[in-house]
Amino acid sequence: MKKILEVKNLSVESRESKKKILENISFEVDENSIYALVGPNGAGKSTLAYALMGAPRFRIIAGKIIFENKDITKTSIEKRAKMGIALAFQEPAYFENIRVKDFLKVGNKDISEKEIEKTLSLVGLDPKVFLNRKVNRQLSGGERKRIEFASIIAMKPKLMILDEPDSGLDIIIYREFYNILENIKRETKSSIILITHREEIGAICDKAGLLYKGKIIDEGDFRKVIREYCQIVNRKKICKGFKE
Amino acid sequence: MKIPEELLKSAKKYHYDTFLMQGVEIPHLCVEKSKILSSFCCPGLEISAKKYSQGVKIKIVVKKGVKIEKPVFLCFGVLGKNGKQIILPEITLEENSEAKILSFCTFPKARKVFHKMEAKIKLKKKTRLIYKEIHYHGDKFGTKIETDFKIFVGQESGFESKFVLDKGSVGKLKVNLRAQLEKESFCKVLNKVIGRGKKDEIEIYDKILLNGESSSSLNKLRGVMINGGRIFFKGETEVTKKAKNARGHIDCQEIVVGENSMVQSTPIIIVKNPEARVTHEASIGKINQKELETLMSRGLSEKEAIDFVIKGMIE
Repeated sequence: MKKILEVKNLSVESRESKKKILENISFEVDENSIYALVGPNGAGKSTLAYALMGAPRFRIIAGKIIFENKDITKTSIEKRAKMGIALAFQEPAYFENIRVKDFLKVGNKDISEKEIEKTLSLVGLDPKVFLNRKVNRQLSGGERKRIEFASIIAMKPKLMILDEPDSGLDIIIYREFYNILENIKRETKSSIILITHREEIGAICDKAGLLYKGKIIDEGDFRKVIREYCQIVNRKKICKGFKE
Repeated sequence: MKIPEELLKSAKKYHYDTFLMQGVEIPHLCVEKSKILSSFCCPGLEISAKKYSQGVKIKIVVKKGVKIEKPVFLCFGVLGKNGKQIILPEITLEENSEAKILSFCTFPKARKVFHKMEAKIKLKKKTRLIYKEIHYHGDKFGTKIETDFKIFVGQESGFESKFVLDKGSVGKLKVNLRAQLEKESFCKVLNKVIGRGKKDEIEIYDKILLNGESSSSLNKLRGVMINGGRIFFKGETEVTKKAKNARGHIDCQEIVVGENSMVQSTPIIIVKNPEARVTHEASIGKINQKELETLMSRGLSEKEAIDFVIKGMIE
């Protein structure tokens, strides 16, 4: 299968603290696939997401990022966005006076109002209610996450990086979220890197990687990886009911 | 309304409805330097302007019980590179009246222009005035502006003011506003300014005196300084002894961008009645990095992202 992303021996440090956070990371993402990145808190999952997006607060000190056969290791964040990489932040920023429809246009100025409405519907938000609402703190956490999600779908990216889109959502909503994710994969043909803690996600993932202390220590079938994850973090609750 | 082309051009920058401005039956007054270009009144509204040695004295009266439906346009400007304009308006709203005034001050080619306005606004009982003042100073940093408002808000009345200067250069700007509020009256004051260069110096001093029972005020500042200029903001709210249950709030958000830019914000709160309450919130400094990062991850350059955040804050 054709690769959309190849990460080769990537090491990353924080620009501010100069602390090395990721070391020698290698993995590949196939086109039109979902790659789950699992790992305990502090493993470096979000840092990896930011580094792939090209966030300036992190510095790549070794290795390469290849996107669609092009070396983008030194490419700026905005150029990566224009090439087709998009990141949905785990804790999205609020924009006090910006309407949802204007926020969705930031990454795609040519998007029509009809397409915006469709995108909002796709993430389970009623366009009539949300189109003109402000992206401010009056939104609930779940609503803001859906808008974040919608804003990157609106970009029509080739690769979506979703940083824990299911965190902070209750059990009913996150099940719905996985359905949304499947819809998106089907409709947009985007590849997805999904950072998550939840084993339920296995049903829709094609492949997974386990990140632990800044390194990928296991990769392959989601079930195999999650089993390894359970052993590492000793979270019996997570593994309970898990069927091989 | 006969408005010079230069003035209309500046108005268009602010998306003013210039078609409406030129309407024949729009109540208005248009003054260039000390020359009264045109004026029009409607029933229940008196507008008179008189040239004197230093400038123009203006009297606007909204008659008792009258609600002026259309906005009253005031256009002031110096359209050449140099010049001086002194405007002394006195605005009175008689009992039970209402009006909305849009004041547009433009100095589009200013290199050495001085404009001074000393306004006295008196709102009698049960009145309501919305006063919006928009400035355009061109792009040469060549203006020196001093505006001074003395406002009396009578019992059960409401005054809302909005001062906007967010396009082009500023030059030197001093805004001084003093408002006294009586029983059950309210006042909302909003200043929105963007400075864009080291020659820009903005001083805003708003003082609101809550002098009546259950009077209330909101004093908001949205300011941005880019490329080395300075903003000084002083927001003062004082509650007098007789202002039982008065409420006030000062809200200041300012962004500092670029080397040598400086913003100074000073809230002053004086409360002399134990049943009153005045609060204050402020956020001053660099643009939220999380917001910038989000916008850049959507394909905006750093400059575009900064502009987007500023636009959001100012609007």
